[in-house]
Amino acid sequence: MATVSAAKKKTVRINGCVAAAQAAKYADVDVIAAYPIRPYTATMMALAQMVANGELDAEYIVADSEHSQLSISHGASSSGARVFTGSSGVGVQFAYELYSPISGSRMPVQMMIADRTLDPPGDFGSEHTDALSTRDMGWLMGWSCDAQEAFDNHLMAYRIGEDPRVLLPQMVCQDGFFVSHITGDVELPDSGQVKEFLPPYKHPYPLDPRHPVSHGPQIMPEQGPPLQLERARAMEDSMAVIEEVHDEFAKIFGRRYDPWVEEFMTDDAEVVFFLQGAHGVTARFAIQHMREKGLKVGLVRLRTIRPYPTDRVKEVLSKFKVVGVIETNMGLGSVSSGGVLYGEVCAALYESDRRPLVLSFMAGMGGEAIVLKEFYWMTEKMMEVQKRGKIEKRTHWVGFED
Amino acid sequence: MSTKGTKIPDRLQIPFAGITPAPSQEKGQDLFPTGNWRSIRPVYRDKLPPCNNACGTNEKIQGYLDLVKRGKYLDAYALIKEDMPFPSVTGRVCYHPCEQACNRGKYDEAISIRAVERFLGDLGQALTRDVVTAGKPNGKKVAVVGSGPAGHSAAYQLARLGYQVTILEKSPKAGGLNRGGIPDWVLPQDVLDREIERLVELGITIKTSVEVGKDVSWDDLKKDYDAVVLAVGLTEPNSVRAEGENKEGVFYGLPFLRDVGMGASKVKLGARVAVVGGGNTAIDCAREALRQGAIEVTMITVESNAAEMPASPEDLHDMLEEGVELQHGYAVTEVLGNGRVEALQLHPARFSGAINASPINVDREAKPERFHVDNVIIAVGQRAAIGWLPNEFKTERGTIKIDRFGRLGNTNFFAAGDIVQVGSGQPLMVVNAVGDGKRVAFNLDKVMRGESLEPRTIPVDVIFDLNRMNMTYFPHFPRVQQEMLPPNSRRKTQQEVIQPFSEEQAVEEANRCFSCGTCNACDNCYLVCPEPCIARPARSNGLYKILVDYCKGCRVCIEECPTGCLEGVPELDFDTGVVRMDTAFAISPGLHGRQAEELKKLGERAAKNI
Repeated sequence: MATVSAAKKKTVRINGCVAAAQAAKYADVDVIAAYPIRPYTATMMALAQMVANGELDAEYIVADSEHSQLSISHGASSSGARVFTGSSGVGVQFAYELYSPISGSRMPVQMMIADRTLDPPGDFGSEHTDALSTRDMGWLMGWSCDAQEAFDNHLMAYRIGEDPRVLLPQMVCQDGFFVSHITGDVELPDSGQVKEFLPPYKHPYPLDPRHPVSHGPQIMPEQGPPLQLERARAMEDSMAVIEEVHDEFAKIFGRRYDPWVEEFMTDDAEVVFFLQGAHGVTARFAIQHMREKGLKVGLVRLRTIRPYPTDRVKEVLSKFKVVGVIETNMGLGSVSSGGVLYGEVCAALYESDRRPLVLSFMAGMGGEAIVLKEFYWMTEKMMEVQKRGKIEKRTHWVGFED
Repeated sequence: MSTKGTKIPDRLQIPFAGITPAPSQEKGQDLFPTGNWRSIRPVYRDKLPPCNNACGTNEKIQGYLDLVKRGKYLDAYALIKEDMPFPSVTGRVCYHPCEQACNRGKYDEAISIRAVERFLGDLGQALTRDVVTAGKPNGKKVAVVGSGPAGHSAAYQLARLGYQVTILEKSPKAGGLNRGGIPDWVLPQDVLDREIERLVELGITIKTSVEVGKDVSWDDLKKDYDAVVLAVGLTEPNSVRAEGENKEGVFYGLPFLRDVGMGASKVKLGARVAVVGGGNTAIDCAREALRQGAIEVTMITVESNAAEMPASPEDLHDMLEEGVELQHGYAVTEVLGNGRVEALQLHPARFSGAINASPINVDREAKPERFHVDNVIIAVGQRAAIGWLPNEFKTERGTIKIDRFGRLGNTNFFAAGDIVQVGSGQPLMVVNAVGDGKRVAFNLDKVMRGESLEPRTIPVDVIFDLNRMNMTYFPHFPRVQQEMLPPNSRRKTQQEVIQPFSEEQAVEEANRCFSCGTCNACDNCYLVCPEPCIARPARSNGLYKILVDYCKGCRVCIEECPTGCLEGVPELDFDTGVVRMDTAFAISPGLHGRQAEELKKLGERAAKNI
């Protein structure tokens, strides 16, 4: 279904939702499974318009729930279609049953997530808990911090997930509102570039009446472990593919991303923030301000959490004295009794011989912005720890403490 | 890297993501057969219906009833003829153990199997050429001594196997007990004559008026034939050991019937006749006595009531309808009269132990009864006349000594019928003699071909339990009754008492058959399967098969199988943990068993290109 006809490279001002929709269009998806929930709805709205006005030739299926959305996606992908779907918040949760079957049957479905805080109460604000709760289901997962990165991540995720060495589904996440509804300049590529970058999807064993195969058969218990092992292998093997694809993306489109972490002003930093997603943008400003005051603070932004770049995180964070993990997610009763990122960071650092002190900041919860003065506050906390040389309070609820 | 250095052993090598070729494709079932959803798989496994099991010659009764249902009378006749040379005879005279065993008897009324057999037998009689042909001649000569049921059956089967058979018959007419022991009003002579003709058509030589021991010696038999079947029957009547038994007017049951049957009887009976004995022959004698001019016939039995008599209840009922009286609990102790019988002296008597199987205690202290008669017919059983047999083959009971295959030692002599069955505990019946003759013929053939005789080892699953079938499919329906001549008129004629079934009656009665445990092509499994898992090239018995590639083991076909032919076989052998993939088509003696070889090869066929 080649429909993006000879589009020329151009820069447009669009928000994250539309950037995701544009990426789907450029990826020339075959099937779109839609079910509305704020804030990602705008993506499906944009795609509906594209299909309606002939810009995109795809099956646009309005499901009756997120569970159906993902079921449709699973079936469509099994038949060999490139599939795009998405959701937010509790919608992500409602489809939970399908995450393991889709990755287990190795169907590279792509799902766009515009984060939304989980109920209760109803809250449209961004919090990463919705997608993060599925982080171990075998999906590739990472956060963008602006519309351009979202666009790019969507294209790269298709390329990675559909690679025959990988064949895994992808969750391409962006913060609700902070990315999904904030417009920014997005460079849309030349269709020829996309064609060069992203070959057509070809599953090796699609459902096809001319070549019948069985998908998802019932197996004996002893046949389970080899399948799990192979899924684990695929997840690990994807790391090399992810790096390759980022290189190639840079060559074709001219934008180079570190696939794992973005480091900002870390060269001589002693304390750093560690976070995912949109708050990285505010963090950069805050760090610049604090640098002007002579504080040795920097930012490490995790771009891909699944597969988790354990060794890279260890290597990067070992350079610093204190790491402040900004969670933006709920991990009730977790390691830090804060969010779930803290545990991931600490585990990566455990084998380091130069372990920094690690703090967990509960900030950006419920979709609240993390304002500059909160970054200053958190920097102070980190520097106190650095001075003291030990942690007295592991987790801080930012905005609720002096 | 957690997966670094991991290895998946060969036996667990898995296709990508478990995606496998469809079960219908090559290697499609190697790792992830759809069948793993199942805990059981349906299997067609034909059981033995109780009628077939009870039949003395194991006629495929369910099989021919099923063919009659479909109007395939000739096929049905041919099927009977595999085991039974003369269905026209047994269709009249058989005491039908099949009907006693019929499962339908526990439900409403047993199938009138004998009447359907007679319908088919008479159809066979009308054929200008029989459906059965002689086997390819193998050059071996067999003598069959005796042309009664056992000899007839053995000769018939041997001719089919290719032997050159000669029947040696003592009497001037062939037929043995069929002719001499069964009255015309049960079995008309012309029916039997036609069956004897069928033997001649098979190339069998029948030599009548040839008596072994007189005209032909043991050594002659040994010299002139490759093998011999002795089916000489029980020819000598037992006596009641009463004084005066040799008086004029005293007859013995079987010779009485035989002389009437052979047309050689000069008997003229008086008005009052007593028949001594309580068995089937005694009943036939009593009823024949009426037809030979007697006015009052009384049966004198040691048995103390009718239920104890070793006789067919139907025949007893028909006899009583014709007006014969019963006098129970007496033994004849003396035949009174001056040269000619005038009366019987009776003393109370009873069996000392089991009924009909223990010595009789006669109470000679009691006051004797004087029972006035003009004639007496003594019918208390028969014994063998085998003086010509070498002593080594005689038993203490005066019968022929055989092994369990009917063979006399290591000789090529075999024996069959009443001569070997008497005293075995088996009731002496035509059909049992026929079965005996058949089995002995097959055993003889094995010996001739140098094969060893082995007892049967395949377990037989006879389906007795109605719970193994789905009775909701069988509405209650009464048995079709055979019409009979009215008692008053029939007691004076030689006309057949029991009337044949019409075609409609035969079909109606065959339709009542449950087909216990056996596929009868009802199509139910084919219709109820929620998936297209049941295939059949045609709607025909034994042609149904389960496409195990698609079967989910839902059991619907098994539950809904009216006859209990389908059963569930566990998919997993829980003792060994081995998945059984070879149980789709159980090898059993039934119709599906016959298909098994073909069905087993299904998997080798090339996959369909969809």
